[in-house]
Amino acid sequence: MLTRVTSRLRLEQVSAHGVLLILAFFSLFPIYWMFVTAVRPANEVFGGSLFPTTTSLENFSYVWNRTPMAKMLTNTFLMALANTVGQLFTSILAAYAFARWRFPGDRVLFLIFIGTWLIPFQVTMIPNYVLVARLGWLNSLAGLVVPQLAAAFAIVLLRGYMKGFPVAVLDAARIDGASSWRTLWSIMVPNLRAPLSALGILLFISHWNEYFWPLLVTNKVENTVIQVGLQFFLTQEGNQWGPLMAASTLASLPIFAIYIVLQRQVIDAFVRSGIR
Amino acid sequence: MDQSIERASTRPDSATASGAAVREGWWSRLRRAYWWQAYLYLLPAFIVIAIWIYWPVITTLQLSFYEWNLLETTPKIWIGLENYQQILTLPELGLALRNTGLYMVGMLPFSVVLPLLIALLIQGVVGRARTIYRTMIFAPMLMAPVVVATIWSWIMNPVGGLLNRTIQALGGPGNIYWFRDGTLAMLAIIVITGWKLLGFSTLIFSAGLASINAEYNDAASVDGATGWQQIRHITLPLMSPTILFMLMLNVLFSSQWTFPLINVLTQGGPRDATTNIYYLLWQFGFKNFNIGLSTAASVIFFTVFGLLALAFVWLSDRLSFYDS
Repeated sequence: MLTRVTSRLRLEQVSAHGVLLILAFFSLFPIYWMFVTAVRPANEVFGGSLFPTTTSLENFSYVWNRTPMAKMLTNTFLMALANTVGQLFTSILAAYAFARWRFPGDRVLFLIFIGTWLIPFQVTMIPNYVLVARLGWLNSLAGLVVPQLAAAFAIVLLRGYMKGFPVAVLDAARIDGASSWRTLWSIMVPNLRAPLSALGILLFISHWNEYFWPLLVTNKVENTVIQVGLQFFLTQEGNQWGPLMAASTLASLPIFAIYIVLQRQVIDAFVRSGIR
Repeated sequence: MDQSIERASTRPDSATASGAAVREGWWSRLRRAYWWQAYLYLLPAFIVIAIWIYWPVITTLQLSFYEWNLLETTPKIWIGLENYQQILTLPELGLALRNTGLYMVGMLPFSVVLPLLIALLIQGVVGRARTIYRTMIFAPMLMAPVVVATIWSWIMNPVGGLLNRTIQALGGPGNIYWFRDGTLAMLAIIVITGWKLLGFSTLIFSAGLASINAEYNDAASVDGATGWQQIRHITLPLMSPTILFMLMLNVLFSSQWTFPLINVLTQGGPRDATTNIYYLLWQFGFKNFNIGLSTAASVIFFTVFGLLALAFVWLSDRLSFYDS
């Protein structure tokens, strides 16, 4: 009896590992294929074997010299950073308001913030494009960043954490005469370092990958972000697979770097926040 | 997603409230004091969403009654409900709606069926191995849609692409043009989007399974229930909130998820075979510069998706008794 149970358990373990291995292979192989195509010498891109016999940085130097790669990567970095810092700032303030006080209209205001979730990008894109154009912000960092300086899900997430904050600590700060502003920045925020950095990583990754809004508000290759640049490159030089994979690798490197160092926080933040 | 966060956020809240009943007086005094400051803290975020989300929604509604081509110099002409009438009679709309439905159904294996099966199969894997697998299967989720599109268009390239070469090596035809045939192209977009999503949805289901109390299953197996009976009568009912949540994400977002891939890989073609409603809006607005038509269509879809979202919230409220 006992041996039958253990052998069944072992069989389950083996099949579980089998499923996971197949899944892991299926997930990683395309990424691997991008990478090996990128590091092949230009004349070996097509007949490529599964493992590269010789490697070369030809494809990388091709895209680096032929396209404004450095400029686009810088633009993307600045946009993602500005969006992340900006959204964190407005969300910390708003979440603090909802978590700390009860005030007339608080429920309605909270619903108004949550409601932004239901509004898809496609509903607001035309008026926002018109407004950015009128302000003269096409092809500028302001046009990429300012329209997205508030994130409802960040507010909801942070409000949850702040509500869980021990009341006694806030009490003590108030009795000591600390203003609400000082309490926020010298007590609340330092204690929420872990969730704040997880949220920051999540925001940075999703803004780094952003594509549609930049496609609308930038039309010059030197003013655009790497994702839009990749698409230009794909439609213009569709058969240059070596350089294209090199450009895709460059576009993914920062994300991989963050992921390798902070995988746990990244996964937790994504699973916690749903999909946006 | 608001559901899960809401639930998570109410837990610590109620815990502090009951745990600190003695300090209740202090707390309410603290909360009341200077309550007007709350508005100041809300102001920055509020200004942003007022200008860049709610005002545009109103403007979109307004523009849907006009004829306009996005040029500041051309006047907007009031045409009442004509845009709406025109949309409902457009043949493209029927096609886009049909495709949207097909994408929703086509995504189900990747957002619900497979991840649930996989999550059930891999329950026993724990510890370090679990973390390593988790890290690997989650990676596609982090990739930018455009990068995903370029990688797969290389793999599916008719000449020298890995997929055709593999098919040829297995004895099949090695010259399939994946994006020239409507059915194949749609299938390709579904599989690519599914590839990106599968790890994420598996993790969501694993998290759901992990939160089920093991005592239920222990008790059932003592009573002689088979594995399948346990899954059918214990696990699946307890998982229904998670299943519903993923169904909701699938219905509400499958058009959003496929959108960048359609734009990069097929531009809706061949002959509109891969277009969906969001891609249609995009074409009306920024390809044909028919602003009236685009905004009218977005008002319609926004209303429909809003009602669907409400229906899901209502359903998940009804199902949430399983939680307790």
